[in-house]
Amino acid sequence: MKRHLLVWTLVPLLAVLHFFLHTGLGLGRGVPDFLTLSLLLGARELRMGGGAGLGFLFGLLRDSFSAFSFGVFTIALTLVGVLGAKTRDLFVGDSLRFFFAYLAAGKLFLELAVWVLAGETARGTFVRVVLVEGSLAALYVAVVGILIILLVGGKEVLR
Amino acid sequence: MGSYIDSPEEGRRHRDLTVAAVFLVLAVVSFYLPPGIQDQVAAGVRASALKPFLMTQEALARARLRAEDALRLQAQLDSLAFLVVSQATMAEENQKLRELLGLQERAPGLFVAANAIRPWTAGSESVFLLDVGSRDGVRVGDPVLMRNGRIGLVGVIRGVRGSSAVGMDWSHLDFRASAMTADGSVFGMVEPRRGEFREADRLLLNGIPYYEHLDSATLITTSGLGGVFPRGIPIGEVVSLAEEEPGWRRAYWLRPVVETGKVTHVMVVVDDIALEGMLELLQSVDMPSPDSVAPTRQEGRGSGPGAQAEPPQGAARREGGRG
Repeated sequence: MKRHLLVWTLVPLLAVLHFFLHTGLGLGRGVPDFLTLSLLLGARELRMGGGAGLGFLFGLLRDSFSAFSFGVFTIALTLVGVLGAKTRDLFVGDSLRFFFAYLAAGKLFLELAVWVLAGETARGTFVRVVLVEGSLAALYVAVVGILIILLVGGKEVLR
Repeated sequence: MGSYIDSPEEGRRHRDLTVAAVFLVLAVVSFYLPPGIQDQVAAGVRASALKPFLMTQEALARARLRAEDALRLQAQLDSLAFLVVSQATMAEENQKLRELLGLQERAPGLFVAANAIRPWTAGSESVFLLDVGSRDGVRVGDPVLMRNGRIGLVGVIRGVRGSSAVGMDWSHLDFRASAMTADGSVFGMVEPRRGEFREADRLLLNGIPYYEHLDSATLITTSGLGGVFPRGIPIGEVVSLAEEEPGWRRAYWLRPVVETGKVTHVMVVVDDIALEGMLELLQSVDMPSPDSVAPTRQEGRGSGPGAQAEPPQGAARREGGRG
């Protein structure tokens, strides 16, 4: 119950923090992708339908600023939400090591999905966008995610 | 013997799958919506859920503007005041000459000063939001300019709401501008090229005939062909030859007049007639600052300290320079 409450406090908080730091303060890429982190944490508490709904909502928020075609982030984040929720059935995931891998894989999957959906002209090369920038962003999200989990109570948050 | 009725867990799983499928279908539908509806949805989200964050950035931008060096602003004001005084009798002379020649009054041209706000989220690097909209006369397709030592092209307006607008800068992959050398002798097409990373995005002047050769530092401006941008807006300077097809064409790298990362306060040309006068006015005043001369929209309306600094008829509204 405590974990449930913690996660559901964290999810909206991280989403607000994402837009406050990125859009409000204009800090750009120096700040990790708290929105995806929030979705990945929330999806572990939800069933597939809920995960898809949360991803859809976050995707709409992201797409309202997107330079790509509208809908790219909506589809990508909805998929991330569905797959994140699905991992509940596949992995117990009560270790920090699992969560690190889960967060990094989730973010990397998002980058890959956006790269595929963005279209030939909008996307950069696969190596640069997914393998280099995507991997670094995934590691960044995973490290920050683990730090946040440790900060708010460690194993209390893990499922 | 197996049950013919789904267990509650199976039913829940089935329902879950259906809900997930519905959201996925909705996401795919949003991707294929007509651009007009997509813009409306995006504008609706920006005007509701994301409004507080945009207002925060707007407030920060305004605070940054107010913190600017007062001495530098004073120097700009003095330069403009001198220019205004030296040309004070021109309107009257112009009126007399028009009467003598029997010419009709020219409709006043307009430009609107605005604050540019960046979303700063991944995937939105080439998009900026403006705090002016259709109520200020801004329309889709209006060019957006900024002074960065010399006045230059930032981009173009893509969507307009009542009090806000969305624009794309020259680094957007959809950006194209018909261009020419400042003397009008060579024509081509300017397009963005992605760098290894976004900060390395560059402009390419393409489609130059092979027999034409451009020296470095040659100024490239909009040509006005195609009717998207008015003629004469500086875009960039030639840096070096980028590629060539012998006997056919050359392409040159350009150093843009306005770096997209520096875009803060811009001017939207809402009437092309204003452009020539604005370019003449701003380029004739040698100001050291990289920022726009025009005060913000709010100041232009006389509410801020910069209200005194407005050009002849107010920064948000002045007559075109062709008389």
